[in-house]
Amino acid sequence: MKSRRLLSMLCATVMVTSAVTACAPTADSGATTGSTAVDTGDTTVDDTGDTGADTGDTGADTSATEGKEYSDDEIVNWTFFGGMPGSEKNDGNEVMEIIAKKTGVRVKETWLTGQTVEEAVGTIVASGDYPTFIDGGDGMMQLYDAGALIPWDDYIEKYPNIKELYSPAEWDRFRMDDGHIYWANQFGNTYGESKQTTHNDEAFWIQVKVLEWANYPKVETLDDYFKLLEDYAAAHPDDGVIPYTCLCEDWRYFCLENAPEFLDGYPNDGSVIVDTSSGTPTIVDYNTTPTAKMYFSKLNEEYKKGIVDSEFATQTYDEYIAKLSTGNVLGMCDQWWDFAYTVNDVFKQQGLDTQGCNYVPLGLVAKPGMEQMWHTYGDTQNVASGLGVTTACEDPDRAFAFINQLLDQDIHNLRFWGVEGVDYNVDENGLFFRTEDMRMKCADTEYKASHLCDYSYFPQWGGTSRDGKNAMTPTEQTSEFFDSLAEPLVKCFEAYGVTTYPEFIGSSKTKTTGVWFPMYSYSNNMTSSTEGGIAWTKMGECKHKWLPQIVMADNFDSAWEDYMKAYNACNPQAFLDEMQTELDRRVAAAEAAGE
Amino acid sequence: MADMTASASKKTKESKEPVEIKQKITMKELKAQRVLIIGSILFVIYGFIFYYLPLGGWIMAFQDYKARTGLLHSPFVGLAKFKFLFSDATFLRTIINTLGMGILNLVTSFIMAILFAILLNEMKHTGTKKVVQTISYLPHFLSWIIVTGILHDALSSSGIVNEIMMNLHIVDKPYNFFMQPKIFWFIVAFANLWKETGWNAIIYLAAITAIDPALYEAAAIDGAGRWDKIWHITLPGIKPTIMILLLMNVGNVLNAGFEVQYILGNGIVQDWSQTIDIYVLKWGVSQNDFSMGTAAGIFKSVVSIIIIVIANEIAKRSGEERLF
Repeated sequence: MKSRRLLSMLCATVMVTSAVTACAPTADSGATTGSTAVDTGDTTVDDTGDTGADTGDTGADTSATEGKEYSDDEIVNWTFFGGMPGSEKNDGNEVMEIIAKKTGVRVKETWLTGQTVEEAVGTIVASGDYPTFIDGGDGMMQLYDAGALIPWDDYIEKYPNIKELYSPAEWDRFRMDDGHIYWANQFGNTYGESKQTTHNDEAFWIQVKVLEWANYPKVETLDDYFKLLEDYAAAHPDDGVIPYTCLCEDWRYFCLENAPEFLDGYPNDGSVIVDTSSGTPTIVDYNTTPTAKMYFSKLNEEYKKGIVDSEFATQTYDEYIAKLSTGNVLGMCDQWWDFAYTVNDVFKQQGLDTQGCNYVPLGLVAKPGMEQMWHTYGDTQNVASGLGVTTACEDPDRAFAFINQLLDQDIHNLRFWGVEGVDYNVDENGLFFRTEDMRMKCADTEYKASHLCDYSYFPQWGGTSRDGKNAMTPTEQTSEFFDSLAEPLVKCFEAYGVTTYPEFIGSSKTKTTGVWFPMYSYSNNMTSSTEGGIAWTKMGECKHKWLPQIVMADNFDSAWEDYMKAYNACNPQAFLDEMQTELDRRVAAAEAAGE
Repeated sequence: MADMTASASKKTKESKEPVEIKQKITMKELKAQRVLIIGSILFVIYGFIFYYLPLGGWIMAFQDYKARTGLLHSPFVGLAKFKFLFSDATFLRTIINTLGMGILNLVTSFIMAILFAILLNEMKHTGTKKVVQTISYLPHFLSWIIVTGILHDALSSSGIVNEIMMNLHIVDKPYNFFMQPKIFWFIVAFANLWKETGWNAIIYLAAITAIDPALYEAAAIDGAGRWDKIWHITLPGIKPTIMILLLMNVGNVLNAGFEVQYILGNGIVQDWSQTIDIYVLKWGVSQNDFSMGTAAGIFKSVVSIIIIVIANEIAKRSGEERLF
């Protein structure tokens, strides 16, 4: 008893102290803000003089619009929480320090680990302990409901780089029901000419070596795809290959769940299909279409044949990535961003890229000859989430000034290209390029943590740099993209007569996305406060439980019937009705705006 | 033993209280005991702040609570949240799971801890005994994250368990433990056993050491063997401890766990793995419906209190040791 009480007292003490320390304001912020304005006058002169020399001010001299260098005690330390997994930067990260000297702000980023984003955000809301900046992903509504975010409205006008991100009409789409803007999505903005080379979307992926082995065949349907995987696996029985795996952990079960919408030729509206064949846009549930049944029955068939990884239903994301990183998995359905950052770097480090382990995207369809929209061209504006500044920020103006500065070309280059002369060189025409050595280093996790700092979930540009020559990011630099392609990829691209990933997947260029696109920006923010929101949550639970089961079922047809019964019991119509209402609203709003 | 004396002193205090009230409390007496009074006031304040004040939050369960409007301005909705809970098949399922796993954990960990303590006590070689005891309670200090990680690896299709089963030709291909809803409860119970048996046994070991050695000697003279000694001396000797711990644990049945089920669960076993705590997290925290979470929490607390009162009453009626 005594020991228990002692223990509980100890626990209580620890909790109290941690609560107290957590509430304490971040070190050395606050005080500095007032003084900077006063100091500027005299610090600029002598500070730039000597710091310019000892930091080796890295060639960015050309854009010396801000002469000021912040000293250590002027720099504020702020925090950012990203509602998605990410890698933390080491303290003293070199680029982070350079940016801190230029902007006076250092941001410590933390990321989602081991829970869903709604849980993480819910916990933050419940504790009231907000970071300075936050991207709550699907939990943005929770933050808005809690009144935790600062409106952007005034600052958009004040800071030109921020204003430039979106057109007034686009900014209006971020407005919440109280008329204010609380966040801006960081991605999908193209500056000048588009230089897109990656397919940063979902696809059925396949290793280049499989295509090479089969002499670059045309792969158009699910049947083609699995036939190819089967043949390759049969021809290489001893290599320990896993022909097809499928992630269905937690929110990432979209890898299993949403392929039917693409197979039917629709773009990634996420939670529903928008059918325009009747003239008026109509919501269609892709979970119950004949294509959905066909897709799952195909998976079921392949599972029984041993083509689908027998562990797929219980593997965690980490196990999945580890599996892909071995180069043994021939194919899977996934979003590019969900695996490519980690897996491609590992392939490069391990030399697996030269063995043809890299994945290329296939735009499969339900029936041969159909057009598909796995890739959507142009910018997708996802208004469901983005970067928000919370009420925990003691100087919002400075926070927005920081976001503005991050979009300055020299800092944008620092974020994505790194330090000139170290991470990239400039040739006589002013084009940026990397040597093989630099590329290797930039694919190294340790180096990235200690040296590079892209503030990846702060607003950013794709497309062409303001100098008119380079791309905003190395992955989009055409010359850089080709030079960094591994040999098997080059051969594969040549065989299919394409030059980039979007061309490879070959999505329709005639079909365009509607003004409502993407619908997931609405469903992502549904909560249990409406009938439809409750139905949406229950449908998710139901699919989580049933989809792996029907893939593994001995008798597919009866399992599918049971699943449909359980699915309909979740009242999906309530959800679909609310989606239809939102769709109609968006169409009407676009008409009103004259689009 | 420590807890026995504690409860004993509590009892004597209670019985004396009525007498003390009749005595006049003089200023002099208060002054003489000021250190004690100040000390206990601190604890009363502590208890009030951390145990009673938070109960005010229960109001949320009867409101449609939004963080923006707060406790004071959120609209009242009566019992709507409770109605939703009890019409939700998932919630009813979580009650069954919570009770099922709670009872399974209680029974197995309880029996194993006593068994383990008795076996350890029978061990004559002190060195080995100490080593075994230390090793057995070490897992208690590991976090659930690590324990579940180990378990997940061990039971995975390339893990040690499958490896052994394959080599012994019990199965031809790896058996996927986490795809079997029916054995999920047992995996959790096993994890609990592995982690807590050694730790739980400590208290029984302490109780056993307090038994008068003379009893054992007397029994030996009367010709009692080892089994007789265990049955007639050790077990009756630690019976009060057993009863108190049983009562306390019964009150904890609904705390069947959160981390294990949360981490080991997946879509296929979710009907058997989700506990009330996970439900609270899902609806309360991630759906931003604090009211619903609170309602589920209240339900849990109320049921726990009822269970513990009933158990205590049964103990009282049968003349056993009790909590209150």
